[in-house]
Amino acid sequence: MEFDLLPVWISLKTAFTATFIAFFLGIAAARWMVHYRGRGRDLIDGLFILPIVLPPTVIGFALLLFFGNNGPLGRLLLRLGQTVIFSWSATVIAASVVAFPLMYQTARGAFEQVEANIEDAARTLGASEWTIFWKITMPLAWPGIAAGTVLSFARALGEFGATIMLAGNIYGKTQTIPVAIYLAVEAGQMGKAYGLVFVIICISFSVIMALNYLKKRQRIGAHRH
Amino acid sequence: MLKVNIKKKLPGFSLDAAFSIEREILAILGPSGCGKSLTIQCIAGLVRPDQGRIVLNGKVLYDGQLGINLPPQSRKVGLVFQNYALFPHLTVGQNVAFGIQHLSKAEIKDKVTILLQKMKLQGLEGRYPHQLSGGQQQRVALARALAPEPELLLLDEPFSALDTQVKEQLLYELYELHNYYRGSILFVTHNVAEAYSLCSKMAVYGGGKLLQFGDKQDVVEGPATLEAAKLLGVENFLQGVVTCQEGNEVCVQVKGLDSEVKALIPDNKKITMNQPVILGIRSEFLRITASSSANTFSATVSQVVEEVTNYTYYFNFPDVQDLHLVARIPKQEGALLDPGSTVYLNLPQDKLFIIT
Repeated sequence: MEFDLLPVWISLKTAFTATFIAFFLGIAAARWMVHYRGRGRDLIDGLFILPIVLPPTVIGFALLLFFGNNGPLGRLLLRLGQTVIFSWSATVIAASVVAFPLMYQTARGAFEQVEANIEDAARTLGASEWTIFWKITMPLAWPGIAAGTVLSFARALGEFGATIMLAGNIYGKTQTIPVAIYLAVEAGQMGKAYGLVFVIICISFSVIMALNYLKKRQRIGAHRH
Repeated sequence: MLKVNIKKKLPGFSLDAAFSIEREILAILGPSGCGKSLTIQCIAGLVRPDQGRIVLNGKVLYDGQLGINLPPQSRKVGLVFQNYALFPHLTVGQNVAFGIQHLSKAEIKDKVTILLQKMKLQGLEGRYPHQLSGGQQQRVALARALAPEPELLLLDEPFSALDTQVKEQLLYELYELHNYYRGSILFVTHNVAEAYSLCSKMAVYGGGKLLQFGDKQDVVEGPATLEAAKLLGVENFLQGVVTCQEGNEVCVQVKGLDSEVKALIPDNKKITMNQPVILGIRSEFLRITASSSANTFSATVSQVVEEVTNYTYYFNFPDVQDLHLVARIPKQEGALLDPGSTVYLNLPQDKLFIIT
């Protein structure tokens, strides 16, 4: 039986792109939140974490309202001749939104664990805030950041509910592994389902191994101080 | 020259301090939670005071009225943290070089080598902070702070985490440091002995207030208030009333002593007859004599503690409850006295100070 790798390819492409987006947005949001002392701190934090708590279908529904042709952003894009829903971009958006809180939360925890004194010491030595972030904060928070990245990737890879709401199930375009498995089981194509399940177990298991490796390094790092 | 005059309110605490120093060493002495470290953080620019002014060598670092508050990066103030705050992911060499990245590679290398040599850290350049002893970490923190040639060096409790031997070594090194470092040094401590041996000026803090500031000799020999005297380690206080005055000499009637105490007052202090005063004297200055003479009073030993080089005696006085004196007498000055024995206790006039 010829095995169809197209959903695997789309899944990987989507997960990598979504992780990339969540990585930068999550770190930026975390860094901003660590220093933000203004009003509504808890509220903003809650909003950032909301996608973990909500059922993915609810997120998909919200995104659909937002990006749909009658939604605020959808209308704007339509004027530029673009439609997001039911396109590959939609799979990326759905995966990014669900992966973002994991990146944000782990990065924030990692930043908060960096001793304030160490950053202050760098300040008195004349380092700019930018230098401090890249040369002190990021290297010290790195094990946590890396763990967050791996978690985000795993979450993006496994995304199903929001994806099917926003991107639908278009073979070769928006059909990711989880969607393909669902479809195969529905259609009674058990062979196909087994194959895809095997592939996703392999990928997920490697992710867990990577996470464990990073945790071990983090423990060694923590032991050092 | 450093001029500081700042106020800062925090929940349940307020700091109010004013002092100025030349190119010299200032010790800020006080119990924990008295605002010593907060003062240092305000000078370094890590905490913004509520009002006041900080000027370093003519440069305004902070001025509440003019709205000036330079960031720590442009103050040229070095700070050594209590826990050293070394960069754990960088080597000793990289730590020291952190503040001089604007220099050329060759200059950085030269400077790091010289500083490591001065701090007796040769050969440790490639080590990580966790591979060093506490004393070595302290010296790396010093070298790192000195590298950008700050105009002022702040040390937060530099001795607190070190054991006695390392402490003495560091004390010596800081003394040496003052010979080649051209700026002022300000350090925070709760230990009078450390403060005294290193500084030239002393500031005594209590509960967020600056209680006294001046030359170390003046401060230690003439505490201005009871609180300052206690913080400076004075243990003996005698409450009395002025009964006579002749020039600089005053007599003070102290309840429980069999005659008047004669003490000297500094020229700048005004004293009136019948004024209640407190006399203070360090326990190390009390002497036990064989016979009655000037400023000598009979006292009864209530308790004895034998220490390594001296005996510590606690004295009671007949008929008074609230007068207790402590004397630390070197062992070579006499044999051990038993509790209950009555002796003549001498309070040397030049060692007594008056708190009005």
